[in-house]
Amino acid sequence: MRFSTLLRKELRESLPWMLLAAIIFLAIGGFSLRQVQLGGWYDWSERYFSSRPITETYGLQYRRSPLQIIGPVLLLTSIGLGLVLGVRHFWIPYFTRTWPFLIHRSVDRKTIFWAKLTAAIITFLISIGAVWAAFYSYSCDPERFAMMPIKRIFIEGWLFVLLGLVVYLGTALTALSTARWYTTKIFGLAFATVIIFATILEWRLGRAFAAIIIGAVILLSQNIDSISNREF
Amino acid sequence: MTETVLETQGLTKYYGSTLALDHMNLQIPRGCICGFVGRNGAGKTTAIKLMLGLLRPTAGSSRLLGCDSQQLEPVIRQRIGYVTEGHRLFRWMSINELEKFQRAFFPKHELEKFQRAFFPKQWDDKFFADMIEYFGLPRKRKIKHLSNGERAQVSLALALVPNPELLIMDDPTLGLDAAIRRQFLEGMIELIMREGRTVLFSSHILGDVERVSDRIAVIDKGVLRANCSLEEFRAAVKKVVLSFADSTPADVDIDGLLHLRRSEKELELILVGTADEQIAEWAKSNRAQNHQIVQMNLEDQFIEYTAPANHRRLFRWEEK
Amino acid sequence: MALWIQISSGSGQPIYVQVAEQISEAIAKSELASGDKLPAVRKLASELVINPNTVARAYTRLEQAGLVTTKTGSGTYVSDPKLRKSDAADINILTERMDTLITRGLNLGLREQGK
Repeated sequence: MRFSTLLRKELRESLPWMLLAAIIFLAIGGFSLRQVQLGGWYDWSERYFSSRPITETYGLQYRRSPLQIIGPVLLLTSIGLGLVLGVRHFWIPYFTRTWPFLIHRSVDRKTIFWAKLTAAIITFLISIGAVWAAFYSYSCDPERFAMMPIKRIFIEGWLFVLLGLVVYLGTALTALSTARWYTTKIFGLAFATVIIFATILEWRLGRAFAAIIIGAVILLSQNIDSISNREF
Repeated sequence: MTETVLETQGLTKYYGSTLALDHMNLQIPRGCICGFVGRNGAGKTTAIKLMLGLLRPTAGSSRLLGCDSQQLEPVIRQRIGYVTEGHRLFRWMSINELEKFQRAFFPKHELEKFQRAFFPKQWDDKFFADMIEYFGLPRKRKIKHLSNGERAQVSLALALVPNPELLIMDDPTLGLDAAIRRQFLEGMIELIMREGRTVLFSSHILGDVERVSDRIAVIDKGVLRANCSLEEFRAAVKKVVLSFADSTPADVDIDGLLHLRRSEKELELILVGTADEQIAEWAKSNRAQNHQIVQMNLEDQFIEYTAPANHRRLFRWEEK
Repeated sequence: MALWIQISSGSGQPIYVQVAEQISEAIAKSELASGDKLPAVRKLASELVINPNTVARAYTRLEQAGLVTTKTGSGTYVSDPKLRKSDAADINILTERMDTLITRGLNLGLREQGK
């Protein structure tokens, strides 16, 4: 009962951002997809992807997949949402000075963190994950698109969703850190940035996932540690 | 039931190189209202946050309801009410939503048998409804649309309704009008009359402290300088005015002298813990014409007690 | 029962003394007759918004002066005038009142003349 109450509160606080991210992603992604549908984007993607090893593996299909175009939008929206949620969950309580009210409760501090994280995961799933899945099923229609989307790109998209969560964890850690900015406080955000680059530069899916999982686990454990010991 | 609901031992807190709290030893017995007073920045909030495990001490320890402050178990926290500095609540919630939120942490079915024997109901819906109705607050209104005073009222209701064994309030009436301050006092009295409750509250309004406290703890620049019953403190801090025929004695060597003010033929002494007989004796042996022990109210006593050694009045009225 | 007590928290006089004195005055002025029951400690504390221990102490003081008697389980009652201790008790309370007035006077008048 306590966890669900905390979760409900965190979800309600995340709601505006859930809607904003979904709308932005839907609008820009939808617009781009529509452009692909109407033609004109293949030249760009061919130029960009021609020399990449991924094209050798997957062939032209990859370059011409309609979902490809939304990839960057998804990545940026995901990162943006991760930052915003991290700030909302862990930074705003400092400004509103509501941490003491939240912390002095008949729950473990970790539970408070889990509630925030669960709310973030649900937010990502609904606002970005669901829209991404919708785009996927939309572009599966052969009457709309000449090329079928390849599953690999669909999976890549989920990778980006996970990256957003990594950014969330990094933002949370930075917010919870009591050190100075120019010392270890920046660690959370910096580490998340490293994971982002490690992931998107790595075209092999398996390794990309591994990087994310490892990064997420490290940030998660640091966060748990931080919230358990932090002063409020 | 533990007899000492709150105790600290050598509780110390440094912020960098600044000493915020210096080896505080405080014990609060069950069933009393303890007024925690000190000037701005003296260390009251630091002490309270340390006691609640929101801050980590640099040295020393503290225990609440027998449990170490740094490892306060959830089940113990449930028995401790806390009114935070500034009554900060979730701004987007309505009063109804806040009630639902708070209530979830005091589920009736979870009470241990022991608790149920002494504290039959932890969250009392009717009590909350009554209080909010009494304050005249619309239940659907969001916290961000409430004034400071109204928010304080909600805060008070949220803290009192779970019927806490120990209620800790950090400057609950700061910036509030007299009526709301009175409501807080009423709430404290109401709570203390139930079996086994204890209240610790910090305040600047010495009149309020005088009204309801059994005990007083005076903190000055991080140091706990008094920790006794209110009656003892009131009896201990005295102001004595002595007038002399010729000139005031150069050396004033009376026990318990805290401050001294001289004018041509008069001496005003602030004494701590000096017996009336001692005063009379000193007056006699120093050939004072007469001496009068002036009754001070708690505010005066507090000001004198926490004034620095070279304390003088800010403004002096000079006869021209 | 119409017992009207005014508490002044900044007056310098301990609150329990104020309560005791005002009750004693009410008795002296026959506003409270012998046999009348004083309000329960908790009730008075709640009304005046002061600590119940303070009320208890006031009642104890009145009892020491012989103005009231406490019957355990029943309450505190104004005692029979014949059973009250000698006038000395009343004088005691009244004398303190005089002192209060004197010191108030001192506070107002004498202090202003500079240190």
